[in-house]
Amino acid sequence: MVRRSARSWLSLGLVVAGALVVPLGLRAVSPFLRSPKAAQSYIPAIETPRERAPFDAAVPAGLARNKPGYIIFGDSMGQSRIDARYLSRLVGGRGVQELFEAARGSAYWYLAFKNWVVAPGIRPKAVLFFFRDENLTDPLFRLWTGTLDPVATDHEPRLDEILALRANGPYYRVHRAAKALYQFDTVSEWLVPRLLNAPAALVAGRSARGTFVETMNDTVFSLDALRTMALADMQVADDAALDFHRFLPASVLPEIIRLSKESGIRVVFVRVQRRPTPTGPPPQSLALQRYVKDLARYLMTNGADFCDDWGDPDEPLSIYEDGDHINRDYRSRYTELFVRKNPGIFR
Amino acid sequence: MIFHSLDFVVFFLVTVTIYWSLPHRWQNLLLLVSSYVFYGWVHPWFLSLIFATTFIDYCSTRGMDLWPHRKRALLWLSVVTNFGLLGYFKYFNFFVENVSAVLGAVGWRVPHAVLSVALPVGISFYTFQSMSYTIDVYKGHAKARTSFLDVATFVSFFPHLVAGPIMRATNLLPQVEAERRFSPAAARDASLLISWGFFKKLVIADNVGVIANKVFALNAPEFYMLWAGVFAFSIQIYADFSAYTDIARGTAKWFGFDLIKNFDHPYLAKGPADFWRRWNISLSTWFRDYVFLPLAYGVSRTVKADRVLGLDATTWAYVVGMIVTMLTAGLWHGASWNYVIWGAYHGVLLAVARIARGLPKPRRRVRRWLAPLQVLGMFLLTNLGWLCFRETELAALVRDLTLSPARATALGTQTAVYLFGLAAIYSAPLWVQSLWVAAGGPDLVGAMLHAEPGPRWGRVAAQAALAGVLFAGVLVLRSLTTLDFIYFQF
Repeated sequence: MVRRSARSWLSLGLVVAGALVVPLGLRAVSPFLRSPKAAQSYIPAIETPRERAPFDAAVPAGLARNKPGYIIFGDSMGQSRIDARYLSRLVGGRGVQELFEAARGSAYWYLAFKNWVVAPGIRPKAVLFFFRDENLTDPLFRLWTGTLDPVATDHEPRLDEILALRANGPYYRVHRAAKALYQFDTVSEWLVPRLLNAPAALVAGRSARGTFVETMNDTVFSLDALRTMALADMQVADDAALDFHRFLPASVLPEIIRLSKESGIRVVFVRVQRRPTPTGPPPQSLALQRYVKDLARYLMTNGADFCDDWGDPDEPLSIYEDGDHINRDYRSRYTELFVRKNPGIFR
Repeated sequence: MIFHSLDFVVFFLVTVTIYWSLPHRWQNLLLLVSSYVFYGWVHPWFLSLIFATTFIDYCSTRGMDLWPHRKRALLWLSVVTNFGLLGYFKYFNFFVENVSAVLGAVGWRVPHAVLSVALPVGISFYTFQSMSYTIDVYKGHAKARTSFLDVATFVSFFPHLVAGPIMRATNLLPQVEAERRFSPAAARDASLLISWGFFKKLVIADNVGVIANKVFALNAPEFYMLWAGVFAFSIQIYADFSAYTDIARGTAKWFGFDLIKNFDHPYLAKGPADFWRRWNISLSTWFRDYVFLPLAYGVSRTVKADRVLGLDATTWAYVVGMIVTMLTAGLWHGASWNYVIWGAYHGVLLAVARIARGLPKPRRRVRRWLAPLQVLGMFLLTNLGWLCFRETELAALVRDLTLSPARATALGTQTAVYLFGLAAIYSAPLWVQSLWVAAGGPDLVGAMLHAEPGPRWGRVAAQAALAGVLFAGVLVLRSLTTLDFIYFQF
């Protein structure tokens, strides 16, 4: 009986050990699968060596040529609200360049501001950032592999420090340890594109598979082809992430402020209103109210401007389309109201 | 708390370690406390609802025991309270929206209140489970329990609390009451089941779910693209839901409990009735026992004539009972018309299949050749149902059903083939497993479970290798987009 029990325990141990040991095979094969172009990431705190996409030098070159008076960063929240051409006209043709990029977060905006605007010596009158609730103090928001490539140089030590500070919770530690032990990222980077390309090769042939996937993404799944979804992109802030003073040091916000002061570029932060209810503005938890108050105070004391759309009677539910996005038909109206309500920015 | 989170891993390890060091009564107390922690992790106020449900059903069943002549009234108390809570939190907005739409259509504009609270996750599951206890006591199938702790543990047992399987009191309560001993062999099987569940969720369901979400986000998908999306969704919902069940069953096994199997290769079904014997088995048997059978019995007693419109009383009882049951089952899934349509569709399929049973049967040899076609046909019919299930906008559903393949563009068709291929690649382990079973082989994962006493080393080695391969698969192929379990919303 005792012997049988000991054997059962041993069999349990073997299965658990198998689960942990077999994946070490990934580590064994990873040196053979690593791309020869793989290099140390600019954010080694959270990324293993990989092949990166090049820095997009065309954007700063365009900015240097056009010398816009205002540059606007943000994600689809800004995209659905601001009509840059119309805004240019409204502010007397002083050139407004929007650099909105859907599904990006504050780490992207910081690097874009630093490497596209400040470093090449572009000096607009103001740079605006459109964001939601706690975006500015969450540098990990939408930080997927490769999303920062177009705005990152080969070394981004300050961002790396910030991310290391932020990605310090137990989840990240376990993830990093597993990554270091099994080196599964290399296998993933080798295997996943091959899986994704296999059916494309079947459809368009080996040589044209890349073009096919690009055409499909740009044509069939373009933003214009998407339907209105009431719940799209309704990322609700978690109260645990709403401790402004706790997360500020591990965020890119102080860096944006520092760059603004050093370069003399005025920065304006616009907090867009999330989807309201049929009867009024979206409810805000006490933690969120406190967070916004702290954020506003911090920005004001550091010479930045802060605009808060929350509770604006001109933004009822009827003008919203999907999630927190505003109906495209209302974009000009929003742009107009934005200029009228914030005359100081465009003076 | 969700299974695929570090919180859960820590919670599970701590709970299971303490659990096996405690005597039986304390084990149940720990299970109750940990189940409440698990359930109230994000929204602690949800706990008041599950406590209310438990308390009402405990009191009702105790009352039935003490005052048998008041049984019916106590049953009503339980049913009204449970359906009241479920109706308020799940169907209030749906009801108000539809009433105000109807009134608006006749020119009567009324301001309507909107309940802006999160739908308590799992409310449909634990309400049904708790109610089944009361109904079973009422019918005399189960004894009323005196221990509130046991009843509360039965209702809230965390591994299956949020998305089932819905366990009956006659099955789970005796397990709660019995002394449990740790079995390393059961824990070994449980670990494999959990690994397979995580693989299905993180690699198959989440990757294929991205494809389905992409197609259903399109304003005007073409015919072939739409059906590639539906195909992806059919894989997603099966992999997702069965993954939850596997993780739940594996977790429960670690605590010494056996939860029933909720899926049995549903896409190998040869007909509608066969499908429902294989899909969400705990829910379909719940509806069979507590809705369909009483209804069908009632109808068969009402139909006096031998034949009405060519059908006998038994067939009528089946048809009416089944359509009403499936409509209810559809509504159980969510407060939305597309679920009602989905339920009605399956009700009609079941009714038609039942009526078709009267047709002459082909010979056995022909039947053997027909079997693969039956499986394929049922899979296609199931996919049509999934379209109704997934498409939440009725106008879009109508448009989808009227799409013509003749209008498809070359790029659209190529895209459809691409998406179809991608879904097939990610779901290959599921298909291999099902086709293997269809060809008469043992269930590749199932065969490794249910260990006989004492390990067989060959099988243990295979289990260890499989657990390792599944974990490696999760590390390498997990989707970057982690989606919630679909059945959490119900």
